[in-house]
Amino acid sequence: MKKINDLENLAKRYRRDLFEKLLILKQGHPGSIFSMMDIVVALYHGGFVSYDKQKKIFSDKVLISKGHATAALYPILRDFGILPKKEWDNWGLKNSLLRVFGNTSIPGIDVTSGSLGHCIGVGAGMALSFKKFNKNNKVFVIISEGELYEGSTWEALLLAKHYQLDNLKIIIDINSLIILGSTKECLNLDPIKEKILGLGIETLETDGHNLSDLISTFDKCEKNGKLSCVLAKTIKGKGSSIMENKKNWHYWNSMSDEEIQKTRKELA
Amino acid sequence: MLQRDIFISEITNSLEKDKSIFFLSADFGAQALDTLRKRFPDNFLHCGISEQAMLDVAAGLALEGNKVFVYAMAPFLALRSIEQTKCGAGLMNLPICLLSVGVGLGYADAGPTHYTTEDFACFRSIVGSSIYTPADCLSTKLIAKQLLKKPKFAYVRLDRDALPNISPEITDSDLSKGFKIFGQASNDKIALISHGKMLHKCLGIHKDNPKNYVCVDILRSKPFPQDLPKEINPCKGIVAVDEQSPSGNLSSCIFEGFSEQNLFPKIISKSLPESYVFENGGREYLLNKYGLSSEDIVKACKKIV
Repeated sequence: MKKINDLENLAKRYRRDLFEKLLILKQGHPGSIFSMMDIVVALYHGGFVSYDKQKKIFSDKVLISKGHATAALYPILRDFGILPKKEWDNWGLKNSLLRVFGNTSIPGIDVTSGSLGHCIGVGAGMALSFKKFNKNNKVFVIISEGELYEGSTWEALLLAKHYQLDNLKIIIDINSLIILGSTKECLNLDPIKEKILGLGIETLETDGHNLSDLISTFDKCEKNGKLSCVLAKTIKGKGSSIMENKKNWHYWNSMSDEEIQKTRKELA
Repeated sequence: MLQRDIFISEITNSLEKDKSIFFLSADFGAQALDTLRKRFPDNFLHCGISEQAMLDVAAGLALEGNKVFVYAMAPFLALRSIEQTKCGAGLMNLPICLLSVGVGLGYADAGPTHYTTEDFACFRSIVGSSIYTPADCLSTKLIAKQLLKKPKFAYVRLDRDALPNISPEITDSDLSKGFKIFGQASNDKIALISHGKMLHKCLGIHKDNPKNYVCVDILRSKPFPQDLPKEINPCKGIVAVDEQSPSGNLSSCIFEGFSEQNLFPKIISKSLPESYVFENGGREYLLNKYGLSSEDIVKACKKIV
């Protein structure tokens, strides 16, 4: 596993890489991507997603249920050599497999997502299959807290608990913002922890931007041998003062040259 | 014998050799399901009364290479979870077979929450779906065997009632073509095209008056049977009979299938009206009252000159 300092630098670099891409694309979801960047860096570079170097595949699954932020995986998959560098380089410039929302035609992307509230169920299906055929693979599902508004999320949590899917690890990216404002003001979701604990699911809390905390939380998840749910407190748009905690930065916004330079400097 | 029992029995037989088959139910049973559950408990998943999660779980299982059958009452399997079906089976082209029981007014007299008079239009519009509507147990068995042999995204519309067997019976070759014609098409005849329960009314009309009518069982309506237009084209017109609401039913499917081949026959749609049905009286009474009696169908045929 890389040192914490290295992981922090990687997360920063990935934000920078993605910012440059979104600048070209003039679309995408920077607020949501930056919100979960540290989580996915910890999962992949922290060694929690098993990687077969010879076959160049991940044997564990990572499902980004908040499909609008799947792009956070692209630079990671590029660096692991799973996503051809050409696809990354061409994205926004020439033909490329990469899309704003992830889909299974992209190497390393395990699910086509974008519509919210699907992936705990999909992950449960994968986890059930792994257990049925005595495979040791794990399934990580990252959802946004906004997906807690979807009934299918709770249906799938019930099912995952009933079937004791100890190989399923759910991470909720809690940045407290949805498109129209804060979750508290729009439609209160709290107390999230008590609601999930009420289902009998092992629930852990972490700072979603502290790599050291994330690593130790995922380590606990791995060792507890239980279906687990990690509540990761995050900041929408993390890393850019222009975007942080701004609901309008769910989507891309046009930026002045000055704002672009400022963001570049902050992400450097 | 019920269509659902026939289909599930075929799945149970296949499970003897193939443990990658999963059967998911949203709290919906069948006599044959009791056997499947007893013999292969690890291949059965009760998903709760949660059609949406059931379809997502099915997608996860299918992504791992399993063959998945999901099973529920038609009104809920068809509409409650249709977006999950689109995003899983549709978008990712997964071998998930939806077994939908009680199409049309099958659940009479439960009322419109339990009637499934829109599912045909809805599922036709999901890209990548195949649609089967067997009219008897023998064709149900053939469909089950085919889907077990070559799993794909399929929506199978099963009747709640025990429907009589069709004679002469549907063969594998009919299923491959997607339809069977009863009678010989000619320019002095009207083609009655239907599927499922309503096919039996059409067959009755054809048998009473074979000189005036041919009958077509369109047991696989999607992909549209490519040979059907040319085989039926000699007829002077078509009456499409469907236990569905007026929009997007079998008549639309037939029009689109024919027009793709630059054929534009006279087509009359006989369906349920644009209204919800609340009355009691049983399915047959309701069909008669709402324009789907044999007399209504014959009357519609007379509009074709």
